[in-house]
Amino acid sequence: MAEKNDIILEVKDLHVSFKSYAGYVRAVRGVNFTLHKGETIAIVGESGSGKSVSVKTIMGILSKNAVIDSGEVLYDGMDLTKVDEKVFHTLRGKRIGLIFQDPLSALNPIMKIGKQITEVLILEQKMNKEDAKKKAIELMRAVGIPQPEVRFDQYPFQFSGGMRQRIVIAIALASDPEILICDEPTTALDVTVQSRILELINKIKEERNLSVIFITHDLGVVANMADRVYVMYAGKVVEFGESEEIFFEPAHPYTWALLSSMPDLETKDEKLMAIPGTPPNMVYPPKGDAFAARNQYAMQIDFEEEPPFFKISDTHYAATWLLHPDAPETPMPEQLSQRIKRMKEEG
Amino acid sequence: MTRYIIERIIAMFITLFIIVTIAFCVVRMMPGSVYDNPELPQSVIDALEAKAHLNEPLLVQYGYFLKGVILEGDWGTSVKIEPSVPAFDVLVKRIPVTLEINIYSLLISLPLGIIFGTIAALRKNKLADHLISVMVVICISVPSFVFASLLQYVLAFKLELFPIVYESTAVGVQRFASMALPIMALAFGPIATVTRYLRGELVETVNSEFMTLAKTKGLNQVQATVRHAFRNSCLPLTNVIIPMFTNVLGGSLVIERIFSIPGVGGIMINSINANDHPLTIAVLIFYSLVSLLTILIVDLSYGIIDPRIRLEAK
Ligand SMILES: Nc1ncnc2c1ncn2[C@@H]1O[C@H](COP(=O)(O)OP(=O)(O)OP(=O)(O)O)[C@@H](O)[C@H]1O
Ligand SMILES: [Mg+2]
Repeated sequence: MAEKNDIILEVKDLHVSFKSYAGYVRAVRGVNFTLHKGETIAIVGESGSGKSVSVKTIMGILSKNAVIDSGEVLYDGMDLTKVDEKVFHTLRGKRIGLIFQDPLSALNPIMKIGKQITEVLILEQKMNKEDAKKKAIELMRAVGIPQPEVRFDQYPFQFSGGMRQRIVIAIALASDPEILICDEPTTALDVTVQSRILELINKIKEERNLSVIFITHDLGVVANMADRVYVMYAGKVVEFGESEEIFFEPAHPYTWALLSSMPDLETKDEKLMAIPGTPPNMVYPPKGDAFAARNQYAMQIDFEEEPPFFKISDTHYAATWLLHPDAPETPMPEQLSQRIKRMKEEG
Repeated sequence: MTRYIIERIIAMFITLFIIVTIAFCVVRMMPGSVYDNPELPQSVIDALEAKAHLNEPLLVQYGYFLKGVILEGDWGTSVKIEPSVPAFDVLVKRIPVTLEINIYSLLISLPLGIIFGTIAALRKNKLADHLISVMVVICISVPSFVFASLLQYVLAFKLELFPIVYESTAVGVQRFASMALPIMALAFGPIATVTRYLRGELVETVNSEFMTLAKTKGLNQVQATVRHAFRNSCLPLTNVIIPMFTNVLGGSLVIERIFSIPGVGGIMINSINANDHPLTIAVLIFYSLVSLLTILIVDLSYGIIDPRIRLEAK
């Protein structure tokens, strides 16, 4: 899977900021990731860590006050940070699709569901009305909308949240993209609906051989979806590796904290370890390791110098001084290693 | 939808009834009477008042009035302004020109307001937006009679482009030319209101999630704006049309005087001054009815445009 030539999308050293009244918000400060054909990667991290901003850059839908300071988004021989709107327009939806964070407000409240799916087919792919309708109904059936013929003529307010999210997925699939970006597609939904939507995305991914970027702050979701995981903190990737590596051999204290704060079935009696403190103010990003202030294992150097990526395996890297050969041996928290042991035993 | 319409119409009649009742009581309780004429002997005054049921309690008077309106279509008879002419006929003669001027001014202000509002929203915080903002502030804060006087002085008196006053006998282009100034004077406010409102709405919808979705699914900026932002922003616009129309009606009370237009506005003021109560009441009913009809039309069109109302109110 990790062969160089099947890379479909590559983000290189991306820096994105926002001009705001509070100052220059450095939302993304050097993000790197690669997406291979047919692969699902997950980007996880606390709220505000820059996940959405990263994918909005890929889609070219950053708000007006955003500035791409530096970096590249390589796709199909182009750098998407530099292509003009005309070219981007030929990619959006048709080559790269996006599913939104909030299905409740993503649909136009006064336009019929069917029309919201077909309009792009008619306007952009020059399909005629009947064909577009046929395709839309097919898509609605594929995402599990019962009675799609009836539903076609209804409005968003007549749909439940889960069904709206299915429609948003159908819209994203309408133009047959090869990359599907899911930005927390299930946060607004309840747990049972959530797992059904995730199953659906997995199924569609298999059927259409999509490459998926999956964004979430729910590590439980990641385990079911992703081949590889990127952990983001304060606008940077701090650790990445294959799913098993991140779950079973996490190396960055932030990943430890994230994993410890994740509820699972066994942890009923254990106390969940909420991550202490709050993320840094991105107008004044801290020197050194941004997580240092909340990190009980932080060393002097964490406050002074930014850690480089240390290689753990060919696929697994983490940016923490704890991996430096001179650093004192620091095992992960006891509670977490217990838990990992248990998870491994269960397989 | 039918049920929604019926409900609206019933609500309208109830409101109208309440307004008429209040109007009747207030007008009748005003001090003074047309018949207070020192030259007439008291016995004659008494006889006249008895004939008009003015000697009876207010409630009974109201009963007579309602009976007349509902059973005979009799709105009372003007006693002073146009003596012995039924109030209804006095009104009917004057309604067309008033409505004409008001409706024309609304008709030109909607599209203009929509155009300016759209430009301002899409050029937000650019020069065009700032210029339009200044215009809006001026047009909203200056009352329409000031514009009317200015227009009359500059365009009609100095430049002689338009007639100074309304010419009720003129026809065709000439007539329209004589209506142009009052229409313009009444339009500035509404243009500004629509501009300001649409700009706000549009700026908000342009940043909405479904606009982003429209873009990410592959529509270009123009398609997304026209198909998703614009229609959605015009929907709440129906909300400002009601106050706008009643404002314009109010404004035209004065405008009609400035341009000597023989409309309803003039007799409203005159009839109050002359204690011509039946006429005052008739005019009040006319104004309330027009306002209520506007509300009804707006409500219904809201129902047609917004599927959430249309479908839920089956
Ligand atoms: N339009 C904007 N103007 C100013 N700052 C912004 C804007 N959009 C995002 N930011 C800032 O960028 C940072 C990253 O935001 P982003 O939306 O990428 O977070 P996220 O990781 O997606 O979080 P969540 O899990 O809550 O969706 C935040 O600090 C946020 O305040
Ligand atoms: Mg987000």
